[in-house]
Amino acid sequence: MTAPLLSVKDLSVTFRSDDGDLTAVRGMSFDVMPGEVLAVVGESGSGKSVTSLAIMGLLPRSARVSGSAMFDGRELIGADLKQLRKIRGKDIAMIFQDPMTALNPVFTIGSQIVEAITLHNDMSDKAAWERATELLNLVGIPDPKRRVKLYPHEYSGGMRQRAMIAMAMANEPKLLIADEPTTALDVTIQAQVLQVIRKAQAVTGAAMVLITHDLGVVAGLADRVNVMYAGAVFESGDIDDIFYRTANPYTLGLLGSIPILTARVSDKLTPIPGAPPNLRRLPEGCPFRPRCVFATEVCHGSEPDLMAVNGGRHRSRCYHIDKVAEARAGSTV
Amino acid sequence: MLAYTVRRLFSSVVLLFIGTAVVFGLTSISSNPELLLATCPPTRCGAEFRSEMIQMYQLDKTIPERYVSWLGDAVQGDLGTAVRDGRRPVTEVLGERLPKTLLLAIPAFVLTALIAVALGVYSAVRQYSVGDNALTAFSFIGISMPTFFFGLLLQVFWGVWWQEWTGTRPFYVTGYHNADFMDLVSSLTLPVATLMLVSVAGESRFGRASMLEVINSEYIRTARAKGLPERKVIFHHALRNALIPLVTIWALDFALLLSGSVITETVFAWPGIGSYFLRSITNYDLDPVMAIMVFTAAITIMFNLIADVMYGVLDPRVRYD
Repeated sequence: MTAPLLSVKDLSVTFRSDDGDLTAVRGMSFDVMPGEVLAVVGESGSGKSVTSLAIMGLLPRSARVSGSAMFDGRELIGADLKQLRKIRGKDIAMIFQDPMTALNPVFTIGSQIVEAITLHNDMSDKAAWERATELLNLVGIPDPKRRVKLYPHEYSGGMRQRAMIAMAMANEPKLLIADEPTTALDVTIQAQVLQVIRKAQAVTGAAMVLITHDLGVVAGLADRVNVMYAGAVFESGDIDDIFYRTANPYTLGLLGSIPILTARVSDKLTPIPGAPPNLRRLPEGCPFRPRCVFATEVCHGSEPDLMAVNGGRHRSRCYHIDKVAEARAGSTV
Repeated sequence: MLAYTVRRLFSSVVLLFIGTAVVFGLTSISSNPELLLATCPPTRCGAEFRSEMIQMYQLDKTIPERYVSWLGDAVQGDLGTAVRDGRRPVTEVLGERLPKTLLLAIPAFVLTALIAVALGVYSAVRQYSVGDNALTAFSFIGISMPTFFFGLLLQVFWGVWWQEWTGTRPFYVTGYHNADFMDLVSSLTLPVATLMLVSVAGESRFGRASMLEVINSEYIRTARAKGLPERKVIFHHALRNALIPLVTIWALDFALLLSGSVITETVFAWPGIGSYFLRSITNYDLDPVMAIMVFTAAITIMFNLIADVMYGVLDPRVRYD
């Protein structure tokens, strides 16, 4: 078996605030293999974005990060800024959620891509501009020769996200982190942008961490899935494990809240009752217990570990894996 | 952009005309020379003097008539007579005084802008640090205290206390001296410092607020995620955006300095436009008062226009078409 490209072990992130400490990520561990697409799924506030920002060292100073993130043999957590800067944008590149605000409004799209290229490559300005134009062409921006000289406000939302993707793949990174890359876009262009991301990943051969709350996106792109809840992984497995052999009540709840095209009009979506827990005061025992239909006395005790399902890589943080599997088999979702 | 600028120039001229009418009306009713002549004892203001004044200020005519006549002269470059300045034309007196105001205004403006931006960036990058808190305290003192207080404080410090301690006086405490370059710098130091204290306090607050907003924006995170060194993130990506809102502040501050700082010039007996304005008011010398107010209005309108055009240059999102 090959060594993982990124190996995160026991990563925790705590924010200090006036109302007490807030632990956004609680002991996350996961591996990303070279070329693999790992989806990280969960509700808002489940710690998805914070995890990726912690790996990049981009969290504000008020955040305390512990644990380990080994990337290609280098430790990222606690690494000095000089070393991190060599990795940022070169070996690990990010695509952010909102392309409207993620590009600097006073510089042209071209100059922002060129900046990313010349920062990590010994390349003339002219060559870098040619490369930037080429990248825009690759992500499907029409008339790239003209558009490379335009400002972000002269691009549409979808085009801006394409430009972000072009910038991210400029240095052929080994790992792409896409943080909700389609959430801020019109539904009609989400699919197109996903296509571009898939293409970018294929062209560069990069592994990808895809952060999303959209299970449709997951199904289309991911090899493996981490389902997150309250700052911890609740279920982890291959895409088929998650969709067809669901072993966690929270994942089951997420799947139940997706609209299905073939459903009858009378069929209702099943929302997960309640709200995500307050991260400053997690409930006793399993954090999902107050919202869980499978909860029993045992769930009040201590939080369950991430346990193997059928001995494979499929794992679930639940005392009632068997009951969930039974319910899964009986449902039509 | 050119069309916009031309259009704005036209409306600026209209605005200036309206401004002169308002200012002329207010000046005419607030200090009626007719009433002043009535209270002046005949020993000082003889019949000859009276008739001369009546003719000079056209006191036998109505205010609108006087305004039309004033405007007719003004557009031909005649802003009236400085009675208390050897009855010379006002334009001549202002021509002598304007360079001295510029001598104060330009260094004060440039140094203020540089220092305020530097302090603003520092405060924003090190938000809530000891340095930032100290600067916040300094700013509030600077904004809250009147200019003349700082002027007098500097004069007492350098002119009295420093001399008592060391027996030397490194700076002129009042007046304009230009025997040589060092002499000029020495006489400029304290008034320029006084002007700067107040402006730096205000402008650095704006700089800090503007920079803070930019630093926490997502494109700054993008810049960091690219692997840019922090120096480039701050001074290239952040500062360029943070300076845009400061343009308006600069334009207004500079217009204010150019039209003469009344208080500072008076405290330091500086022969510029500001001190002349106050002197003309206390002397009931109407033409210079009117001329300086119109000059102030013109400068303010002009720099507002410059600020708006600069916006279009600095921010690609702003286009006036």
